[in-house]
Amino acid sequence: MTTTAPPRPSGTGTPPRAPRPVPGWRRGLRPYLLSIPAVLIIVGILYPFVLGAYYAFLNYAAVVPRPVFVGLTNFVEVLSDPVFWASVRVTAIYAVTATVVETVLGVGIALLLNRSSLVGRIFERVLILPLMIAPVIAGVIWGLMFNPQFGVLNHVLGLGSTFDWLGEGRALWSVVLVDVWIFTPFVAILVLAGIRSLPKEPFEASAVDGASWFYMFRRLMLPMMWPYILVAVIFRFMDSLKVFDHVYVLTAGGPGDATRTLQIGAYQNSIVNLNYSQGSTYMFLLWAIVFLTARYLVSVLGKAQRRAAGSEE
Amino acid sequence: MLVLGGAAAASSGLLAACGVGTGGGPAAANGAAEVTGSFDWRKAAGTEISVLQTPHPYQVAFQPLLAEFTQLTGITVKADLVAEADYFTRLNTELASGAGNYDAFMTGAYFIWTYGPPGWMEDLRPWISNSAATKGDYDFEDIYEGLRRSTSWDFKVGSPLGSGGQWAIPWGFETNVIAYNKAEFDRRGIRPAETFDELIQLATDLTDRANNKYGIAFRGSRSWATIHPGFMTQFTREGCKDYTLQGDQLTATMNSPEAVNFTRKWVDLARTAGPTSWTTYDYPDCTADLGAGTAMMVYDADSATYPQNIAGNSAQAGNLAWHPGPAGPDGNYATNLWTWSLAMNSASKKKLAAWLFIQWATGKEAQTKAVQTGKLGFADPTRASVFDGAFKQTLGKFPGYQETFERVIGSTDIKFTPQKQFFQTTEDWAVALQDIYSGQDAKTRLDALAAANTAAVNRAS
Repeated sequence: MTTTAPPRPSGTGTPPRAPRPVPGWRRGLRPYLLSIPAVLIIVGILYPFVLGAYYAFLNYAAVVPRPVFVGLTNFVEVLSDPVFWASVRVTAIYAVTATVVETVLGVGIALLLNRSSLVGRIFERVLILPLMIAPVIAGVIWGLMFNPQFGVLNHVLGLGSTFDWLGEGRALWSVVLVDVWIFTPFVAILVLAGIRSLPKEPFEASAVDGASWFYMFRRLMLPMMWPYILVAVIFRFMDSLKVFDHVYVLTAGGPGDATRTLQIGAYQNSIVNLNYSQGSTYMFLLWAIVFLTARYLVSVLGKAQRRAAGSEE
Repeated sequence: MLVLGGAAAASSGLLAACGVGTGGGPAAANGAAEVTGSFDWRKAAGTEISVLQTPHPYQVAFQPLLAEFTQLTGITVKADLVAEADYFTRLNTELASGAGNYDAFMTGAYFIWTYGPPGWMEDLRPWISNSAATKGDYDFEDIYEGLRRSTSWDFKVGSPLGSGGQWAIPWGFETNVIAYNKAEFDRRGIRPAETFDELIQLATDLTDRANNKYGIAFRGSRSWATIHPGFMTQFTREGCKDYTLQGDQLTATMNSPEAVNFTRKWVDLARTAGPTSWTTYDYPDCTADLGAGTAMMVYDADSATYPQNIAGNSAQAGNLAWHPGPAGPDGNYATNLWTWSLAMNSASKKKLAAWLFIQWATGKEAQTKAVQTGKLGFADPTRASVFDGAFKQTLGKFPGYQETFERVIGSTDIKFTPQKQFFQTTEDWAVALQDIYSGQDAKTRLDALAAANTAAVNRAS
């Protein structure tokens, strides 16, 4: 018995089979199905945000279980409270100092690591260790190291048992130091990745023309690295404005209000004092600060990127 | 940009996200009246209750006993543990949600002033007085009077403690007294101080910074918990008061001349004879320094220093002793207390089972067993019969502990004026101490604190 197999469609001579028509209702549903994940994410972010913002207009606290709308009263109270402005000052000093120091150190370390060597390769791997430690754990570790009675720092530096790292006048700089320890590697790694992605040709051409290393750094590398540095600055500055964990572990905002950042103020109002509306007001104002700062920095980044690409003078 | 804005947005909704909603609704009706007939431990057999607890010697002592409770009642206890640092955050969130996920929970007395007014806690007095729900030999009056009073209030500004509902049953507690390094005192031939000025002098004399030793540890961190142990005890002994009632309004008096004078001395004591990093010191730091031999005295909870004298727990185990601390100018030993108590969630759906658990855990029999078998001890039991019975037998190697306790117990209760803004106003008090420690003028700073606190406590009412 012989069978004859049906000819397989092959070559260009056979017309392709027409796709099965998709029913109209399914085609109409597709955009909605595709947007479900995005909608879920937006709802997940916006619902607590809107609810938090709504609380800022109530007098909601544990001792006021049935709150009423109070308009802008919370904002007036918070904005006329010197403790709030002290927190703004502390947060600003913290964020600016931490970001500047981390950026300078991070760029310097990235430049050193870019010179390929065995030590550099080892350091590259060791450098990420602080990033592997949760900031709250880093706070506990540094708290032990800062302890004047038995901490390693006073012992190694020969400061005796009377030097208080977390005392008035030093506490803010000590918590910045911990931030620098944790996050400088983040800047270094980001900038190092940027340096390694730069084109080699301009540097080779400059070397042929006899340009010095510093000249090449200033005129070539820095302008081309600038977008990467700015990305690191944006991430670090935004994070620093919202700092909470290791500062709270180390000082809880003290001594006095010396390290009371806006996040710590919000936490203390909401969770310790159980004044939810006042805590929400703090958070809402912090959000406004972060949002406006982010908006400005991203516009600066856009300009820098266009300049590095040569599309803008 | 959206990502950055979104991150901030997410953090601004922190409260909503962690479940703090304007939920809770009207307070649930008290469930005691629903229990009728004669008392029977097995009335709620087959029920499982959830209890929120924090790891603590009291909880550690009771954990192995839960099987006995199940055997007695047929009730299974699911105990969730949350570290003390996060405990009250979790508890606040749970209670505020009104979900009733936990039927009973550990709480401190001050928290009643905040959790009670919104109706989050069940009044246990109807349960205690209902013979169908409470065994005849429960003997509530056996619990020290100061403790019973400290867990009861009617939530009206100006009303004293002891008025109103019984919101929690004291389970374990601590008095705030001096623990000292007796071996070192004996070596030097000195004795604990009997007045506050003597204490200042003694602590200063014992301080030797060059050899990393200092006279006295007490809390100084930026927390309400800095105020309640040694500070509030000595503040009261020296004749100072936090608030006075004028008409229907409270007036903060932590800036009275005697309070300013005492506060100045207290902060100077911290500076000259306290731990270098005083503004970060909580009780574990204080007791650890005592156990390590770095601090010569600690003015804090007796139950916090007690474990340091148990063999194997610290370098100075066996060398420690207790003393009531300086008496006031008139010889008084007024002492502030802290009590871990057991309370019932008013939103619980298993109130009878929850009450049977609370009744059992605060009863004579279970507390006696906890004292006898607790791995970390059970200092101090809240029942006079248990203290006089099983607990005294454990105190052989704790010189002065019993005498100290007996000296202060009659004048031990909560020395704060009850008010609903306790945590905010008391934390602000701790901030003021830190500011004075950092150099601000005591009188000016305390005047500002008193003005702010007067406004806060009356606004809340």
